[in-house]
Amino acid sequence: MGLRRFHGMAFLLTLLALWELAAQAEWINALIVPPPSKILKIFSELTWSGQIPMQILVSMKRALAGYLLAAVVFIPLGVLMGLSPTIHRLFEVIVEMLRPVPPPVVIPVALLFFGLGDEMKIFVIFFSCAWPILLNTIDGVRGIDWVLLNTARTFGLSRGKIIWQVILPACSPQIITGLRVSLPIMLILVVISEMVGSTDGIGYFVLDSQRRFKVAQMYAGMLALALLGYTLNQLFNFLQRLLLPWQRGLLRRGDEG
Amino acid sequence: MNQAKPFNWLGWSSFALLLVAWELGARATPKLELYFPPVSRILSALGQALAAGSITQHALVTLARFAEGFLLAALLAVLSGVVLGYFRFLNSLLATLIELLRPMPSVAIIPVAILLLGIGDGMIVSVTVYATLWPILINTIDGVRNIDPTLIDTGRTFGLNRWRILCQIILPGASPYIVTGLRIGLSIALILVTTAEMIAGSTGLGFFILDEERAMNSANMYAGIVVVALLGYMLNRLFLMIESRAMKWRHGMMARQAA
Repeated sequence: MGLRRFHGMAFLLTLLALWELAAQAEWINALIVPPPSKILKIFSELTWSGQIPMQILVSMKRALAGYLLAAVVFIPLGVLMGLSPTIHRLFEVIVEMLRPVPPPVVIPVALLFFGLGDEMKIFVIFFSCAWPILLNTIDGVRGIDWVLLNTARTFGLSRGKIIWQVILPACSPQIITGLRVSLPIMLILVVISEMVGSTDGIGYFVLDSQRRFKVAQMYAGMLALALLGYTLNQLFNFLQRLLLPWQRGLLRRGDEG
Repeated sequence: MNQAKPFNWLGWSSFALLLVAWELGARATPKLELYFPPVSRILSALGQALAAGSITQHALVTLARFAEGFLLAALLAVLSGVVLGYFRFLNSLLATLIELLRPMPSVAIIPVAILLLGIGDGMIVSVTVYATLWPILINTIDGVRNIDPTLIDTGRTFGLNRWRILCQIILPGASPYIVTGLRIGLSIALILVTTAEMIAGSTGLGFFILDEERAMNSANMYAGIVVVALLGYMLNRLFLMIESRAMKWRHGMMARQAA
C-alpha cells in the first residue's frame, strides 16, 4: 500500500513538474494554462486574504441548509412510505413524475420564485437531494427484518419507541447511503446554481474569474472546490463513525453470523 | 417480480388531484399567474411549441449532445477502466491523480472548457464526457479487480490468449459493475448537458428553459421542463431495456448458481 502511494505521488509530481516546465518554456499558452506554481501562489494569497474561505462559507451555508432540509423532510416521509403501502402508493406516482427531472432544470423555476437570493439555491439543493434520500430510506425500512418489529410489538413498545429504537437504527445504513449519495449532488448543485444565478459563492467565483480572464484565480477556485469535496467526504465518514459507532459492530457481527 | 403489478389507482388519482388543484388554484388567483400558470395553459404552450417545432429542435440538439457525450465517455471509461483494473502498476501511478480530481464537483470544469474551447457544441460535449467518465471509470476498475483470479488463471491454463481473456472473462465478469457505472453516468450526462446549455448555450433545452424564465414566459418554461423530464424518463427506460437484453445471460447464470 505504501509503495502504491509512493508511485501515485511520484507520478503526480512528475506531471506537475512537466506542466510547470511546459508553461514556463511557453510550449503551452501560459495565459490559458498558467504554471502550477502561479496557481498555488494565487491560491495561498486568496486563502490568507480570506477571499476563498469567505466564498466557501457562503456556499456551504446554502448547501447545508438545502441538504438538511431535504433530510428532515424526506427521511420521515421515507419511513412512512416504507411502513405503509397505502402511503407509498399515494405518493409513488408523484415521485416517479418528478424524479426524472434533471436537477439543474429546476434552477429557472427557483429563480422565478425566489430571485437570486439564498432561497433559490436552498430550494434547488433540497429538490436534488430529495430522491436519493427518500428512495434509500424507503428501501431501508422495507428491508427491516419483521421479526424485529414483531418482537418489539410483543414487548409492548409504543409506536414512537418502535420508530426511534427499532426502525430508525435498523435502517440507518440505508439512510446513511442516501445521505452519502446526496453529498456530491449537493456540492454540484450549489456550484451550478451559483454559476447560473448569483453574485457570490465559490461557484460564482470560479465562473466570474473566467469571465474576467483571471485565469490563475479560476484554477485556484477549482483547487478550493476539490479540497472542499475531499474534506466534506472525510467529515461525513468521521461523523458517521462518531454518531453510529454501533453500526460497525453490527455489520461485523452480521459478517460473522 | 415486476410483472402483474396492479395499476396504482391511488397514486394516479393523487397525482391527478394535484394537477386539478393546481389548475383551479391558478385560475382562482390570477395574481400568481406568473408563478403558477394553469396546467391547461402549460399544456397548450407545450402543444404550440411542439407544433411550431421550436421545442423539438431544442430537444433534438440536447439529445444529440447527450448521446455524443455519453457514448464517448462510456467508450473511453470502459477502455481505460479495464486497462487500469488489469495492470496494477498503471493503476498505482494514476491513483493519486484520480483521488485528487474525483471529489471536485465536475461542473467546475465548465469555466475551463469555455476558456479552452469557447462556447459551442465542442465545449458542451467535452464537459459532459469529463463528468460522465468518473462513475463509469471507477466502477469498471472495481469490476475488473473483483473478478475471481481463478477464472483468469483457468483461462490461461486453457491457453486463451490475452484478447480472448479480455473479451470472454474480464468484460463479462466486470459487466454488472460497468452497467451500474453507466446508469449513474446517464443521469450525470443529462445534468451536465443541461447545465452547460444554461451557462453558455444558445440552443438546447437547458437554454430554452432558462431563456423562457428570463422572458417571464413561465408556461413555456414549465413546458420545457416537462419535455426534459420526458427525455430523462425515456432515456432511463431505454437503458433498462437494453440492460435487461444485454444481461440476460447473467440472470440465467445467477439462477443456475442459486439452484
